[in-house]
Amino acid sequence: MFIGVTGYNHESSAALVDKNGVLVDFYREESLSRIKGDKSFPKRSIKKLLDTNKIRIKDIERVAFYERPLSAFLHIIKEASMHMPKSLPLLTHQFRNFNRSSVSCYLDFAKFFKGLESKLIYSDHHLSHTLTALPYSNSKKDICSVVIDGFGDRSTASISQVVDPTEINELWECPYPVSLGLFYSSITDYLGFAINEGEYKVMGLASFGDSNSKSAKLVRGLMDWDTTSNKIISDMSFFDYHLSTSNSFSSKLEELLGPARNPFVQLIQGDSDFQRCADIARGAQDLTIYLLGKIFTHAHKITNSRRFLFSGGVSMNSASIDSLAQLPFVDEIIIPPSPGDSGCAIGAAFYCYIKSNYYSDLKISKPSLFPSRKEVRNDEYLTEQIISNEFSVLERDEYDAFLNAAELIKAGEVIGTVLSCSETGPRALGNRSLICDAKNKEAVKNLNTVIKNRSPYRPTAPAMKYEIAQKYYKLRPEISECYKSMGATCKCLENNLSLDFPTTHVDGTARIQIVENNSSLDKLLSILQPMGIDILANSSLNVSGDPTCFDLVDGLMVCSRTKLRYLLTDLGLLKRKT
Amino acid sequence: MKKIESELLIFYETAHAELASALEMLAASKLTDSPKQVFGYFMHAKDEYNHARSFFKMLSMRGKRASIETARNYRFTSPSLITKGYISDKGFLIDTMKLKDFIAFVYTNELLAKSSFENILTLVGNTTEEGKRISDIMRDELRHHGMAKKHFLNHYPALQPWQLMLYRTRETISNKGRKIYDANLKFLDRLLTPLYRAMAYIAGTIAKKLNLNEFKRDGKNLMNIPTNSIL
Repeated sequence: MFIGVTGYNHESSAALVDKNGVLVDFYREESLSRIKGDKSFPKRSIKKLLDTNKIRIKDIERVAFYERPLSAFLHIIKEASMHMPKSLPLLTHQFRNFNRSSVSCYLDFAKFFKGLESKLIYSDHHLSHTLTALPYSNSKKDICSVVIDGFGDRSTASISQVVDPTEINELWECPYPVSLGLFYSSITDYLGFAINEGEYKVMGLASFGDSNSKSAKLVRGLMDWDTTSNKIISDMSFFDYHLSTSNSFSSKLEELLGPARNPFVQLIQGDSDFQRCADIARGAQDLTIYLLGKIFTHAHKITNSRRFLFSGGVSMNSASIDSLAQLPFVDEIIIPPSPGDSGCAIGAAFYCYIKSNYYSDLKISKPSLFPSRKEVRNDEYLTEQIISNEFSVLERDEYDAFLNAAELIKAGEVIGTVLSCSETGPRALGNRSLICDAKNKEAVKNLNTVIKNRSPYRPTAPAMKYEIAQKYYKLRPEISECYKSMGATCKCLENNLSLDFPTTHVDGTARIQIVENNSSLDKLLSILQPMGIDILANSSLNVSGDPTCFDLVDGLMVCSRTKLRYLLTDLGLLKRKT
Repeated sequence: MKKIESELLIFYETAHAELASALEMLAASKLTDSPKQVFGYFMHAKDEYNHARSFFKMLSMRGKRASIETARNYRFTSPSLITKGYISDKGFLIDTMKLKDFIAFVYTNELLAKSSFENILTLVGNTTEEGKRISDIMRDELRHHGMAKKHFLNHYPALQPWQLMLYRTRETISNKGRKIYDANLKFLDRLLTPLYRAMAYIAGTIAKKLNLNEFKRDGKNLMNIPTNSIL
């Protein structure tokens, strides 16, 4: 058995791969601690891997950490040292928190899981990303890997040629501090959203912006691609993320774009500052699409590959993937369901597996979108008092519960789901979701604003079967796998009904989900289609600011804290008592 | 502006504390194997979540009036629950404490929370909407305190109420101790900052000379980099 672990910098997680190259289990620490973006050492996740799979430390052959800790530390220090004395607070912070950085992962293993520290190995950060994406590709050979994130352990973007899983050659890198990921985070911060949390809000806001506006053009000029050196170039004087612990952008950016937005003031469409912020977001999105196009073009040029793995935090920018699929040399783009740092635990675990089977026949199985093991817990007994006091059980039989849920959806209700295993990535794909009829404007509005308390400019994703998606959306075969995990947006067909769906963005795109056969949503849609409902609006089951629900207790809590009335669970269909 | 900043600090910290309590109770509800206790902790967590939401709302009201620079300093991100020490990096209290100590801790701290809310009530005024909400929260805390006491005495009938008093005194003292320690730590921090910066300057000067180019991966097979290298 092999364990991969991430932590300290972004969301932490742990993954388990068995001796046959199968991803058997995966947990994000935030799911268990309920602390959104929890980046502490993933002790709960590792413990859960061991407990749920009934394995002992001696059964673990190797455990890999997803990056080389000292490299990450030194590259930040080295860059900051070039800008003293301005960077002194950052340097002081780095040195004082040395023991809390990933450098201490060996000690944390020794402290929490005695014996595992002696089995610890390290993978390169971007290699972990590549090995996270590789298992999701049908062919594991002759493919190009593009990794773009905020910062890895030495670079912020890289291109590698995967000859086979044992030979992955790095051919190009973008050295820190120039970073497309950190640029996007800085704009997120400038617009008043939290870094590592609010990037998708910027992406949603960009739909309302105008590419030809002055603000968008100014943002568009902050970075560029140098065609002679094939490098990303950036005027770093607009950014402070490499110099400061508290500011990601400098006062010069505020001089250029106007004052940053107060994070406590809600951004409402029609308000005076809304259009300026939307235009800035549009500029950031345009620049991202432009640079991604340049990086992929360069990747094709140096590898001659037409198939790509794409991972790293920037690959979560689903609004840019459709443009990449239109590049003339692209045959296929694979984005793993958890392409950010938390998914890297999967890559790190596969790194252990490959290193341990270097000279034998490697078998890497394509992981499920729902790899977490179903917990063996007597939920019916443990939650009996919560359910009897706070809920009524409408239906216990599984099929009838689905049938009842379908009827409620038809009647315009929103249903929460806590079914089977949870999803790998940050997007709820039906097992931990809030769902309703995607064509019912009132129901979608209720889901979005009343239950989730989300900003109205952030639309919900439509989920449907493949044959239905073809009727409404311009699907691209190059990224067909991405649609299964909401990894890419697509355009509505011209003059199509879908342009009027409440799940469609203002720019005529939608972040669709094509449901997998035999998944929970597939079952529900099979019941709903004869009733005239072929698309479900799907959003994660959580209260705004919290992680997506993990278990039944979390689901019951969301239902108790919000106006959600119905919960479809493995115990049946529940209705909250008013 | 200074008044707003001091109020922001109070609501920012209190919201952290209440959210951390909610998470502690939620964790307890998942760890216990008695349906009655699962329900008790669940309802307690729900109350604490609602308290946290109220304090976040009060924080937001003040944040809107603050300068952008100040407001940015009080933007909440969940991982700060750990970095600020509201949740231990060793785990939840239910993971690290004996059940008896955990219940006694809840019993004591609900009362301490109530008394700290009295100060906030004075700040916002009894008759305001916020004052009314804080009074409700104080009643909740008192109810939680009473329930913890009942639970403790039911669970450990051999123990007497005076033993709970001992817990309370011990926790009150250690709470005061924590405050003194925190204040001294902040004072020491201010005192030592120039020294830290001088040391960082020296270390930075050395770091400037580091040549990290030899660790570049250009053209290398990443699978062949030594597995035990942290650089």
